[in-house]
Amino acid sequence: MSEAAIPARRPLDPVLVYKILFLGMVALFVAVPLLATLLGGFKTLGELRTNPFGLPQTWEWENYTGILFSGRYWQMLWNSLVIASFTVLLTLIVASMAAFAFAHIRFFGSSMLLSYLTMGLLFPAATAILPLFIKVRDLGLLDSYFGVILPQVAFGLAMSILLLRRFFKDLPHELLEAALVDGCSYFAFFRHVTLPLSRPILATVGTITFVHSWNSYLLPLVMLNSERLYPWPLGIMIYQGEFSSEWHLILAFITLTLLPTVLLFILAQKHIVAGLTAGAVKG
Amino acid sequence: MRFLTKLALAAAGLTLTLGTASAQTTVRWLHLEQNPAQVKIWEEVVRRFEARNAGVKVEMQFLENEAYKAKLPTVLQSRDRPHILYSWAGGVLKAQIEAGVLEDITTGVGDYKNKLSAGAVEAFTINGKLYGLPYNVSQVGFMYNKDLFAKAAIDASAIKSWDDLLAAVKTLKAAGITPIAVGGQDKWPLHFYWTHLAVRLGGKPAFEAALKGQNGGFEGETFLKAGELMKQLVDLEPFQTGFLGFKNQQALGYFGDGKAAMNLAISHHSATQRALAADKKGITEDKLGWIDFPMPAGGKGKPSDTLGGVNGWIITKGAPKEAVEFVKFFISDEVQRDLAKQNFIIPTFKGAEAALSAAFMQNVARNIAASQYHQNFYDQDLGPSVGRVVNDATAEIAGGSMTPKQAAKAIQDAFKQGN
Amino acid sequence: MSQHSAAAVIRGRPAAPGARRRATTDGQLGALLLFLPPALLLFTLFVVLPIGEAAWYSGFNWNGFGSPTRWIGFDNYRFVFDTRGFGIAFRNNLLIIAVSLVVQLPLALTLALLLADKFRGSVALRMLFFLPYVLAEVATGLIFSFIYDGNYGLLASVYRMFGAEAPHLLASPQTSMLAILIVVVWKYFGFHMMLFIAALQGMDRNLVEAARIDGASRWQVLRHVVIPLLYPTIRLSVFFAVVGSLQLFDLVMPLTRGGPADSSNTMVSFLYNNGVSRMRVGYGSAIGVILFLICVTFAITYKRWFMRDE
Repeated sequence: MSEAAIPARRPLDPVLVYKILFLGMVALFVAVPLLATLLGGFKTLGELRTNPFGLPQTWEWENYTGILFSGRYWQMLWNSLVIASFTVLLTLIVASMAAFAFAHIRFFGSSMLLSYLTMGLLFPAATAILPLFIKVRDLGLLDSYFGVILPQVAFGLAMSILLLRRFFKDLPHELLEAALVDGCSYFAFFRHVTLPLSRPILATVGTITFVHSWNSYLLPLVMLNSERLYPWPLGIMIYQGEFSSEWHLILAFITLTLLPTVLLFILAQKHIVAGLTAGAVKG
Repeated sequence: MRFLTKLALAAAGLTLTLGTASAQTTVRWLHLEQNPAQVKIWEEVVRRFEARNAGVKVEMQFLENEAYKAKLPTVLQSRDRPHILYSWAGGVLKAQIEAGVLEDITTGVGDYKNKLSAGAVEAFTINGKLYGLPYNVSQVGFMYNKDLFAKAAIDASAIKSWDDLLAAVKTLKAAGITPIAVGGQDKWPLHFYWTHLAVRLGGKPAFEAALKGQNGGFEGETFLKAGELMKQLVDLEPFQTGFLGFKNQQALGYFGDGKAAMNLAISHHSATQRALAADKKGITEDKLGWIDFPMPAGGKGKPSDTLGGVNGWIITKGAPKEAVEFVKFFISDEVQRDLAKQNFIIPTFKGAEAALSAAFMQNVARNIAASQYHQNFYDQDLGPSVGRVVNDATAEIAGGSMTPKQAAKAIQDAFKQGN
Repeated sequence: MSQHSAAAVIRGRPAAPGARRRATTDGQLGALLLFLPPALLLFTLFVVLPIGEAAWYSGFNWNGFGSPTRWIGFDNYRFVFDTRGFGIAFRNNLLIIAVSLVVQLPLALTLALLLADKFRGSVALRMLFFLPYVLAEVATGLIFSFIYDGNYGLLASVYRMFGAEAPHLLASPQTSMLAILIVVVWKYFGFHMMLFIAALQGMDRNLVEAARIDGASRWQVLRHVVIPLLYPTIRLSVFFAVVGSLQLFDLVMPLTRGGPADSSNTMVSFLYNNGVSRMRVGYGSAIGVILFLICVTFAITYKRWFMRDE
């Protein structure tokens, strides 16, 4: 359990050897595709065949710089950022308000409404994708950021409300009662006490929502038509369609689009892991 | 509350910046052209058009062929749809007209249509109204690599019958050459085999009878036989390894790289294979040959019948009138000749075909001119749903997961279900 | 401010009990009217109504334009069940679940047991294994469509090193699904591993220590103490595997688009390929309804049978 526990064992413990071998194999299984993608972006198409695993003989920086200096790469990331940010913001606002009501206000039909909302946990957005498309069209939101954002928020509500409600419920009720006696309104309490106290859970919900939105493909695919609005998962598919066999360019493009995710993950790994797994467990 | 207001304002601001177009008219044009050399000419056309029409801007947008077909049904439902769209005419066009998303451009085009090939214009005329203008016609046939044929000692001009083709495939295989490259993942390159066999076997009468549900419809003898003959070819394993995972572009690149002897192509792919080859040169003009689709024994169609496409531009409902003007400009004598000179298209502007410089395309232009029955691609002609099933089913014949009989039944079932 | 200090502050200020009731009922209605409608509206509009409409549309033959008029009753359901591809898609979903249970779960559990204790490199390995889960499915699919590419891919290179001809895994109906299953394991085992690690770290260590003192071997401790304690997490992991399988789509599109010959469709990619991209609203809605019923039946049954204790 402690740092010293394992090295302190006999030096040639066969169990330890197997353990290291096994971990090493799994690590290779995970890392090789990623490294091959990163390095492949620096090779020429021909070298991908002749030198699949090694470092590039000459580093073809143009593969990367060509993409970095093209408008489409930045446009795609920007679109993803806008969609994901609005999705997170709206989810946090709408879900935390509802969760507050379910946690702190006793009213007739409360549990019924809550189970109504948590029905959203039972099925994915894909089941209703065609009627959803028709609905978004009829609202005039087709081919707009909000045509993607609003359905994303709606389908993320169930999980978010459950997570937030559980946390809000654990905040002491006495505080609310005291505040109400002092003439504080529910909203003011929510805004100035509940939300500031709930930063950890808001961060968790925000992380889950952001990652899902940033990576989402089906909803944008169905709702968006103009390339200037495409988030990166759509953009990268278009790029691949365009450069079908020029794998060196596609690999460079994949690497660059994954870069923000990987950087963010390295910087905030604890929060992201905790957020994604905690969300899963508590949901 | 302040938070919400801010959000609402931000949202409103966002939609505003996205929604406001500049004061001038913008024509949005969605195209599928992947060949950079050709796109360059198109961009030049746009510049010239914009120079002549102050206040009009033409915005080009590109989608790859398969992505376009998958996206089109949703694109059409959007209010912000492009004004000018690519079309293969046929049943898909009819469905779009019935849906009321296309503009009737009969008056906008006026007499201009008389300057274009009547047959091609006919494809875009439904119930006496004109919905689009054609800019290119094409024929399906085998492109072949003369070097590889020479290596296997095959005389391409002797390939007249289906059995000749099968024999050539065997010879090529024996010589260690991949006989045919095909983009099986896109499916439609495979449906050419089935369709063209049906055209050869039954001619126009068989197709028209099937449309009326006579002679067993698409389960009838002609179509069953087409599947069986296709199966004969498939059983020889004539395609490159992994052909079901190749997109058409990849297959064209494969052919262009000289790795396969033949490709059942649309005539203008002769230019595309160059752009998609690894060296960007592909099979050069002098090494590239054409074989008319062979005639199976007992075929009732005429040898001069052709399978091919008519490609044009349709105008969506509510498009500014400048969109029609642009399409007319795009299909003007000058532009058509420019494109024909480099053998990118078989032009529809009467007389422009004289500019074709390659014997390959001149030959195709003659074939189409001489054809009494030019059958449009089934996957377009039979409408959006049935057409896709034809593609699915023929790809399954090629993959060995459906028998010709099952494939014919699947197509007939889809036909009965309608759209 | 941490939770604990906040709680301390709060306890210092008890409210006057008499004033409590009046104050809490005051403004309750107003608060409810402010807090609930946004969530209810969004949820109803974009989740509940579309599901209801799917049931309605599934009775029509409709291409989405205008309003649905050609009522065909349950024919769309018949068409769906008549399509060979739907059966394959359903089977593929079951396959994914099976692989998740037979390969992924034991792998994740083993790794969790190996990595739950801290030693040099354990955190780095955990992060490495979790990384694929964070990456977008689309990008993952593209990376592996490179790996599997018969001409330029890594796998092909390995085969060539041994002088063998490269297989085109994605291009054959026999192997396409196998290729996708490998990617599924690659992408998701780290997530399940983290679930187990979280559970192991929350486990009462005294039980394990006590068993060890009683002379139980490591294997016995694992078999009779640790794994039983992990049952709730295992059930959760299974739940996520099934739910994940039922909505798998993004990964399939870049790899095979469901082909060749429908061999690698999941139910959602089948719905996209046959319903959405052909705008067969009725047919696609029928698939949606079937999928919905499967999801709901599963979720309710599973909750009732396997998660009773939680």
